[in-house]
Amino acid sequence: MATVRPPDANSLLDAAQDQVQKNRQRIEKGLDILLAREEPLVGVTPKDVIYSRGTLRLYHYRPMSDEVYRVPVVLIMSLVSKPFILDLTFGQSFIQYMLAQGFDVFMVDWGIPRPEDKHLKLDDYVLDFMPRCFEEVQKATGEDDYTMLGYCLGGQLALMYGGVFPEAPVKNLICAATPVDMEGMGLFRHFSDPRWFDVDRLVDAVGNIPPDFMLRSFEMLRPMDRWMSYVRLIDNLWDPVFVYGYRIMYKWTNEQIPFPGEAYRQMIRELMWENKLMKNTFTLDNRRVDTKAITCPVLNLMAEHDHIAPHAATKPLLDIVGSQDKEDVLLKGGHVSLVAGKNALGRLWPKVSDWLGERSV
Amino acid sequence: MPENSTRTDGAGAEAMELWRNWLTETERQWNSFFSEVMGRDSFGRVAGSYMEAYSVIQRVLNQGMERYLNTFNLPTHSDVVELGERLHNIEERLASLEANLGNLASAAGVETSASVTQLRPRRTRRPRTQKNESK
Repeated sequence: MATVRPPDANSLLDAAQDQVQKNRQRIEKGLDILLAREEPLVGVTPKDVIYSRGTLRLYHYRPMSDEVYRVPVVLIMSLVSKPFILDLTFGQSFIQYMLAQGFDVFMVDWGIPRPEDKHLKLDDYVLDFMPRCFEEVQKATGEDDYTMLGYCLGGQLALMYGGVFPEAPVKNLICAATPVDMEGMGLFRHFSDPRWFDVDRLVDAVGNIPPDFMLRSFEMLRPMDRWMSYVRLIDNLWDPVFVYGYRIMYKWTNEQIPFPGEAYRQMIRELMWENKLMKNTFTLDNRRVDTKAITCPVLNLMAEHDHIAPHAATKPLLDIVGSQDKEDVLLKGGHVSLVAGKNALGRLWPKVSDWLGERSV
Repeated sequence: MPENSTRTDGAGAEAMELWRNWLTETERQWNSFFSEVMGRDSFGRVAGSYMEAYSVIQRVLNQGMERYLNTFNLPTHSDVVELGERLHNIEERLASLEANLGNLASAAGVETSASVTQLRPRRTRRPRTQKNESK
């Protein structure tokens, strides 16, 4: 039987030295966070604003090569969060990756709604802002057709656009973490049940839905996440790479933006309660949103453990479009790790690039 | 000595790994516990009552504040919003003028500053698979 010898003085000293070093780094990095020193830079990929209107900005990212795919890619962002999730930082930016792969990338950033934007409805976004942005993309590229890539609620907006303008020259549609069947929205649906949630009273009282309300709603879906993330941070506080990644994600999750009041009312009443997008009965300004009329190639990207847009809500997306060329991609991970982080870098981004490359000539 | 050191490090790392696994499992269990609690109708009713109270308080506060600000002859929230709307309208008109000017300029064959400075790459790229096939 092997006998366990006690460690000698040198190894104990080495271990102690290592711990002292780590604790010194923990204190240093902890102070950086507490004092908000050296805030990580996000969304720094070079870009030009080619169109702006109110808080809306249409960005054109500067191409990284002198030869790009013919069809431009237009990213449609969500209304509930800041768009830099797709452009986190160097080496962790989906946009940089796509530029490096030879795509011409545009982004529709809705900006931070102002109090006077409380009147904005989904009708304004889909029937007015989006067509105007696509016109600008056409002008900037000289190409008629374009690919729409929507993340989360941006995917719903893209679907609505495709459904209400079936004649629009949409070459491809990619939806990432896009819920369509609201019956699969789990706790979100339960929280907003009409038996106890009076959306009219809330919107009439506050106008735009406050960012704090949005943040707490997301946090309630997994209440322990925030506390456990602090524990993990303390555990890894000595590791600059972990701390940097943590600070970027913390910045994104905590910098919520207000949700335009009327659009929120519409989302809750017509999509969450009546599930109109799934039932193909949704209308915008009396125009039917017929998602079955979407016939371009469609890629549906889903995360297996997405607690914000659960798999049950994202899975039926391909059933509600009329395309022949359509594909589901289900990856491990959650709502954010689907599009950002190591998981995305190694698996999702190459998949998107390959799928889109073949359909962008 | 290296053998001992490895053994010490290994034991430490193992303990940390156990602790991290415990942490993940605890998080999962608490999350599923809270999900179960929050999924009940009783929780929904409590949350609904809270939201109702929040909406009422918010409305009463807004109305009260508006009255006070009016008394002191100060701009209220709705005044600021109204001002914002007017600015927004001016911006819209400027944007439409700018767009019309751009259209006129391009019809006259004049390049705008944006089109001059922007890099215009060739739009002829093909995916690797198609390139290989054509060879």
